[in-house]
Amino acid sequence: MAFLEINKLVKKFGQEVAVAGIDLAVEKGEFVTLLGPSGCGKTTTLRCIAGLEHPDNGEIRIEGEPVTSTEQDIFLTPEDRNLGMVFQSYAVWPHMTVFDNVAFGLKIRRTGRAETKEKTTKALELVGLAHLADRYATKLSGGQRQRVALARAIVYGPRVILFDEPLSNLDAKLREQMRIELVRLQHEVGITSVYVTHDQTEALVMSDRVVVMDKGVIQQIDDPETIYARPANAFVANFIGVANLLEGKFLSHEGKFADIEIRTGNGAPLRLRALGGESASPGQKVILSLRPEDVHLHLQPPGQTLNVLEGAIIDTVYQGNFLDCQVQVGPHEVGVQMDHFEQLSPGQKVYMTFEPDHGLCLTE
Amino acid sequence: MTTEAAPSDIQVIRPSKWRGIFTQETIATSVASFIVAIAVILPLMALVVNSFLVLDDMGFDTEWGLANYSEIFKGRIIRKAFLNTLFISSMCTVLATFFGVSLAWINARTNCPWREKLEPFNLVPFFLSPFVGAIAWHNLASPKVGLLNNWARSLFGIQGHLFNVDNIFGIIWVTGIFFTPLVYLFVIGSLRRMDPSLEDSARTTGAGLWRTTMSVTLPLVTPAILSGAIIVFVTSAGEFGVPFKLGSPYGYETLTTQIFTKAVGDDANHYLGAAMSMILGVITGLFIWIQQRIIAPRAYTTVTGKGFRPNVIDLGRWKWAAFAYNLGYVFVAVALPILCLVIVSLHPVWQGRVIPNDLTSINYQKVLFFWSPNSISAATNGIKNSFILASIGASIAMLLAIVISYMIHRTKGFGSRILDFLCVVPIGFPGIVLAMGVLVTYIKTPIYATLWILLLGYITRFFPYGQRNISSIMLAVSEELDQSSRMAGATWVTTLRRITIPLLKPGIFAGWVLLFVIFLRELSISIILYTAGTETLSVGVYYLSNFENEPLTAALSVAQTVVLLLCVVIFRKVAGKEALTA
Amino acid sequence: MNAETANGSYLEVANLVKYFGDDRAVDGISFGVPQGKFLTLLGPSGCGKTTTLMCIAGLHKPDAGDIRIGSNAVASVSRGEFMPPEKRDIGMVFQSYAIWPHMTVSQNVAYPLEIRKLDRSEIDDRVREAIRLVGLEDMAEKGATQLSGGQQQRAALARAIVSHPCLLLFDEPLSNLDLKLRERMRVELKRIQHEVGITSIYVTHDQAEALVMSDDIIVMSKGRIEQTGGPHAIYARPTNRYVSNFIGIANLLEGRVTRAGGDRGEIEVAQGESRLLAPCLLAEGLAEGDAAVLSVRPENIEAVKSKPSGPAVEGEVVQTVFLGNWLDCRVRWGEFEWKVQAHPREGLRTGDKVYVCLDPDHTLAVRP
Repeated sequence: MAFLEINKLVKKFGQEVAVAGIDLAVEKGEFVTLLGPSGCGKTTTLRCIAGLEHPDNGEIRIEGEPVTSTEQDIFLTPEDRNLGMVFQSYAVWPHMTVFDNVAFGLKIRRTGRAETKEKTTKALELVGLAHLADRYATKLSGGQRQRVALARAIVYGPRVILFDEPLSNLDAKLREQMRIELVRLQHEVGITSVYVTHDQTEALVMSDRVVVMDKGVIQQIDDPETIYARPANAFVANFIGVANLLEGKFLSHEGKFADIEIRTGNGAPLRLRALGGESASPGQKVILSLRPEDVHLHLQPPGQTLNVLEGAIIDTVYQGNFLDCQVQVGPHEVGVQMDHFEQLSPGQKVYMTFEPDHGLCLTE
Repeated sequence: MTTEAAPSDIQVIRPSKWRGIFTQETIATSVASFIVAIAVILPLMALVVNSFLVLDDMGFDTEWGLANYSEIFKGRIIRKAFLNTLFISSMCTVLATFFGVSLAWINARTNCPWREKLEPFNLVPFFLSPFVGAIAWHNLASPKVGLLNNWARSLFGIQGHLFNVDNIFGIIWVTGIFFTPLVYLFVIGSLRRMDPSLEDSARTTGAGLWRTTMSVTLPLVTPAILSGAIIVFVTSAGEFGVPFKLGSPYGYETLTTQIFTKAVGDDANHYLGAAMSMILGVITGLFIWIQQRIIAPRAYTTVTGKGFRPNVIDLGRWKWAAFAYNLGYVFVAVALPILCLVIVSLHPVWQGRVIPNDLTSINYQKVLFFWSPNSISAATNGIKNSFILASIGASIAMLLAIVISYMIHRTKGFGSRILDFLCVVPIGFPGIVLAMGVLVTYIKTPIYATLWILLLGYITRFFPYGQRNISSIMLAVSEELDQSSRMAGATWVTTLRRITIPLLKPGIFAGWVLLFVIFLRELSISIILYTAGTETLSVGVYYLSNFENEPLTAALSVAQTVVLLLCVVIFRKVAGKEALTA
Repeated sequence: MNAETANGSYLEVANLVKYFGDDRAVDGISFGVPQGKFLTLLGPSGCGKTTTLMCIAGLHKPDAGDIRIGSNAVASVSRGEFMPPEKRDIGMVFQSYAIWPHMTVSQNVAYPLEIRKLDRSEIDDRVREAIRLVGLEDMAEKGATQLSGGQQQRAALARAIVSHPCLLLFDEPLSNLDLKLRERMRVELKRIQHEVGITSIYVTHDQAEALVMSDDIIVMSKGRIEQTGGPHAIYARPTNRYVSNFIGIANLLEGRVTRAGGDRGEIEVAQGESRLLAPCLLAEGLAEGDAAVLSVRPENIEAVKSKPSGPAVEGEVVQTVFLGNWLDCRVRWGEFEWKVQAHPREGLRTGDKVYVCLDPDHTLAVRP
């Protein structure tokens, strides 16, 4: 049995179904991220785990003990679940010092004075704020507040720590730094974590496993590398990173590859080879997913014949470390990332190739 | 493309400081500051000066001295009045804070039934006249003619009386329930703006509902509670109508009633009155200073992240108790007094009980039908004068408010900080104190005994309320909205006409209605500054209460209340629900 | 209107100085923009870029210097001339959009034309055209408060271009939008500017925005100009440490030029006993023996497990972060940590011993 288990969770707000029956199991010590666009139900799921929302159906178990169960009519209040939570708005209490904020959970648990001081100081050291213990929360920067919130959530040794987009109010540079730091801390403390974000980079960088959600339903659960390299469907492919999604027709299986036919400029069908498509049958409508960085652009016809697309430049955008090119291939627009700068003019004829290993055939 | 490396040693002729001061903007702000300063400072200066002038025994000549002040602390009556004022204000603050905080919490944070429907009624006392409230409660609960006492006698056979509001506790009760909305507004605003995750995080940290409320919610709204409490203390210390109706006739004097006797009547002594006003003004001014400079800046501004609904606490079966409590407040503060006044006003003579056969509309004819020969001129004059004063006064005050707000927030000239300060000063002084100052300043000028002196008093005391209305919107409206009009080719005047003023329109109108309400029910300034012919509505009520009978008083009170209630409806329509929230 | 002076600039700013109190917010800068071009002022907050823009707009009065738009000297401190903003015929887009909430979208857009007292029929035509150009046809009669942030920004742009001003000014117009929308709007803004062909000055602190949109970029710091050039020149050939660090991500190591010839040379950097002699491109003005800073971008470094033939140093992988299309690695060399962008398929792991090798065509020696 998993450490944290969610079964058939449903939550509605009026007519609107925020979470439509999801199942999830998180192992002890694992860092799991719920990733999706706003309104996908990720935060609602998290708040159901915390006990801040009453689900309409389903069961949540922590260490085998049900904390919410609509069937058995069990609902533990948030304070009885022994969890820690970090909020988007930091929610650091402005009328208390940093020390008092962090010590709050220990005082609630009637911890002795000496132990409270020791544990609080240790938690503050862990987040690097020991020197600001007596400062009032209103005098802290955003990043510092988030560290206080983190220390406050871990100090009393909760069973699970929940993160609700904790980095989204920070600026880009600080966010990047805090990601790394959060992961380091989580490893150090070894605490089971559920993290909610809409930022795919955050999910890829931090998680042991990523749960991609859309419209209240789980789309895919996998480790970051798999999520990126082998998205389960078009939604995941497009949400994680950037992907060109070309509609086509499945032709046949060729070993571990799939052959797909897409339409090109002069109407002539083009046969392309990519991974995946295990469940497809000939003639079925499929989607070919190609990452812009996996497509190579050539000005001259390439030597190979497999996986060559012909097109015309629509537009180029210089991004510093790469050049973003949009290429028209028949009815499709294909984005290509070039790692060197080249003067390309709109309308210019170009060729594109990709390795069969880098394309992915998705069935919908 | 022509560029060059930046030479840092370019010779710059820095504009001289003097030339910087004399720009159009700074001259304009300075002139406006000067006008406002004269209006605000002059009466206060006159008050200070006059308080040190001592009238000789003959009552003709004066000399410098501290005798007025020593009189205050030696004279038995005045000292007692001083202590009464402190006691009444303190107890009123406790009462209003208790009602205000509990009602705000019920409305903002619980699942009390029909709270959206009840909420607007909690604010109604804010718009009504406490003086009229005192009249109503006198008729409800005075020992002899109180309706409630009579009912108690006939229903339960009680001897004597059940309630008595004709004493200090009556004053505390009426001011307390009438000033409850002041606390309520501060606290409910603070509760609604609070980031719910501040409470959520206490819950997930392990604190129960009670612990969370006591250790997180309550401390976070403390600055709002303190602000509201101070405002109540100051307002009740400056309140004249309620102690005048429920205290004075029964031997309970306060500073305001004493100042009144020194300002008008046989016993008049403006110099002693000025000294008493000084004492009251220093106390209230100090408290307002504390509220403005120490408490208000400490209010916790909380960042809201995602737009989650504020946490609503399920009271279970207790929600009906909460509902009954809120309904009870609206009943004693609004419904019961108005009902009682209507009943009283329909009797030719009020004897403490309803006599169905006697019901008549004669009282309304006497106070409203100015063309009828038996109309009472103090009442009909009062109505006419009050409408003139309220509409003209509100218009002038709002105009002043717009100009001053614009200068404070947009020109940022050197006068703007002075202006900002001058706009707080009048709030620190009760109407009766300022009126005393206006009286001693202008008594020897031609404007004395005209409506102009009343208008001057009204505007000086109350324009800051309008100014705050405008300022809050002006702060919310980005300066870039003005600038983009300039960039679109519009001049400063066109920008003002087509962009700035239209953007402020809802605030201007809401402020206008608010001032109209305040002016229409104003008593403590009017009572000092009126003369025969320049009575106002509230002075009319005072006159009827003092020299005619209760039913006539009630009739004019009902008329005033109806107009004020209409204004409430208009105000809510134009200003929206949140407009008053501090 | 079309007057360009001999040096080809349509807008010219000369020796501009602006004080706030005793603070020199703009410290004597000069630049010009040719007609129809898109120039970006790029720098961190407080670098003087917005103040410069405000001086061009006429919303701030400069303390010294001259500003000329076309043939109009709009501000000249020495001659005591100052043209108020409404006379300058400039369109401006603000950070807060500044869409007037009491008007509909088309009323907002029509405003500049009404001020200029155009015929109603011509106003209607031009408003419709401007609204079409920014793609808000469906929202024309909506109140401004009903628009999303992105739509408000489009409306603000329509309002700025509708009067065909001679200059367009942008004050961080995209910084209030979320990331995805911002990326889309960059390209769109550039397209619209290209279509209307109005000379534009754009202020931003976002280097990606500057690289994507501009014909030319001026990098500013502390009221001065650090470097001027096209996006590729700024990114690929920064001339000093500040620009290197501000634009993109760079590994910066202090060292000394050991060989110089033309724009090629060699720079020496060291960590303890370990030394690296890296062939590189030299920034203008650097000579042999000069103190310089080695600047190389993470994507131009390779971390390989077997010893390469070229110049390389040995280090240890101390951190890898998976970012989808690449692996962000830190390789420790002495006290220094190289930031390296590796391909996930290379399979680098923390603790691996690797050789860091630099590409001479992408390694720079810049001024400190």
